[in-house]
Amino acid sequence: MDLTFRIRRFNPEAPEGKRKPYWQEFTLQNVDETDRVLELLHRIKWEQDGTLTLRRACAHGICGSDAMRINGVNKLACKVLAKEVGAKVQIEPILGLPVLKDLVVDMEPFFAHYRSVMPYFINNSAEPARERFQTQHDRELYDDTTKCILCACCTTSCPSYWANGDYVGPAAIVQAHRFIFDTRDEGAKERLDVLADPDGVWRCRTVYNCTPACPRGIQVTRAIGEVKLAIMRGSPEGIIKEGVGEIATSSG
Amino acid sequence: MTSLVLTLTETLRYRGAIGQWSWVLHRLTGLGVVLFLTLHVIDTSWAVFYPELYVRAIAAYQTPLFTLGEFGLVACVVYHAYNGLRIALIDTRPAWWKYQQRAAKIVLAATGITLVPVFILMFSHVVKFYQSPESANVLPLVEVLREQLPFIAGIAIAVIGAVLFSAVTGVIAGDSEAQTKRQGSQIERFWWSFMRISGLLIVPLVFGHLAMMHILQGVFDITTQTTVVGTPFINESATAVEFVANRWGLVVGGVFVWRVYDFALLVLVTIHGFNGLRYVLTDYTAKSRLLKNASIYLATIGAVVLLVVGGAALFNTIPATAIEQAELAMERLHGGEGEAHEAESGAASGETAAEEVPAETPESGS
Repeated sequence: MDLTFRIRRFNPEAPEGKRKPYWQEFTLQNVDETDRVLELLHRIKWEQDGTLTLRRACAHGICGSDAMRINGVNKLACKVLAKEVGAKVQIEPILGLPVLKDLVVDMEPFFAHYRSVMPYFINNSAEPARERFQTQHDRELYDDTTKCILCACCTTSCPSYWANGDYVGPAAIVQAHRFIFDTRDEGAKERLDVLADPDGVWRCRTVYNCTPACPRGIQVTRAIGEVKLAIMRGSPEGIIKEGVGEIATSSG
Repeated sequence: MTSLVLTLTETLRYRGAIGQWSWVLHRLTGLGVVLFLTLHVIDTSWAVFYPELYVRAIAAYQTPLFTLGEFGLVACVVYHAYNGLRIALIDTRPAWWKYQQRAAKIVLAATGITLVPVFILMFSHVVKFYQSPESANVLPLVEVLREQLPFIAGIAIAVIGAVLFSAVTGVIAGDSEAQTKRQGSQIERFWWSFMRISGLLIVPLVFGHLAMMHILQGVFDITTQTTVVGTPFINESATAVEFVANRWGLVVGGVFVWRVYDFALLVLVTIHGFNGLRYVLTDYTAKSRLLKNASIYLATIGAVVLLVVGGAALFNTIPATAIEQAELAMERLHGGEGEAHEAESGAASGETAAEEVPAETPESGS
């Protein structure tokens, strides 16, 4: 089958006056319905226009490099099949981060927010001889938020983030959630303080664009809600009840 | 400004699910209610301070423009209330997010189901009014719009004042624009819970208020000789001022019940509404410290003005001469025919009303 691509282009090195972003159409023939959008973008780059610029690394939905807005919704190009997009597909860079070229955005502001929540294990007590044990139940409290690959699909789907780049954004809150609700971690108080900033969790207006945007199926808005409650109560203890224990039972 | 335009256009372009549209509607309906609240609190206070202006304001409310606006207002309040419950409920149990899409659809359906009988009742008031001879007195649109000019001017002055104040405080504070470290805000924490708790309290209060003033009796009944809703008193003079005097004069068990009710509603809705306005404005002014602070000042000015004006009206007695002034104003407004006789008899019957309204309208004038 044939597939028409409508791609948002931007060339920062174009001569003065021609530097504005524009739409360009490409048509591909002999597209298989199980081809992934990422492969098709490669075909355009290799067969039609070598200047088309995009970012990708693993191409298997793990590295989180190829987030883009596909037919109006943030997705990883490597996880979308041709049969899911119809005969015409529109592709543009994710919104809210500065576009460097074509589909490549500057991820630095995104990573700065990520770093601001101290996304690392904090525990100053003496190291045990082997490992810090944790019950299966406690491990499940934050299981969902361990899946984040920092692709920025959620943060750049959020109208609050589009309007205000100072908002810490869903992804950073998800990453903070992973440590706040880890019973072995001792940095919850500091992280909750960072996220209680006016540009922290309070800018979340529960629009729910982030949750369906996540390519890993993380319940993003739920995680943000749990962090809000932890801030309200001053502690993460006892906030997560529903859903815990599912993994233990399903794995028998 | 650019971030507002960007958010508007991109929200239309992004294929978000229903949650995105619930959010858009929640903002728009909230802003609509705050705008009407501002007009409404200020002109209701005129019943106490400027009876003639109040008569003119109610006459403006009885025109097609405001009738349309009233239907819109009721729709906004109902949607905002139901969707607010959806937001607050899922906030208490984040794991229920998986029901949010269904909840958003239920909110839309429930709004529709509620509005059908409500609009039928409201429309019956409209039909009744336009079949009565009084409909001949409807003010022309141009005049109604001209009456709103002071409000537009007032809002403009508040906006300019807030921006100027922000500019002055910005100069005094200096250029401390340096990136400050993120830290917990107790204030935002307070506001987050205030919005949810006040929202829950407002729902029954505002539904009761709408039922009484817009559905059971409409704005057209304010100027008829009927029993005033929620009281045993009859609006003898058929003036809007006596209507208010009757309501605020009802004492049950030593308490001015409707004054207490209206005061609770005023405080909760004003603070909830203007904090909501601050949320909306600061979301789109993050890039400019001048406009961001101006947004905060504007919301504060708005809330303080309404609380002071509304509070002053609620804690004051309606002067004895107010009803007579209102009758004269009615006569002047409608060129006298028919109303003149009623004005005469009204002055006499005003006395009976005065006896029924304790401590409220001593009516020394007659």
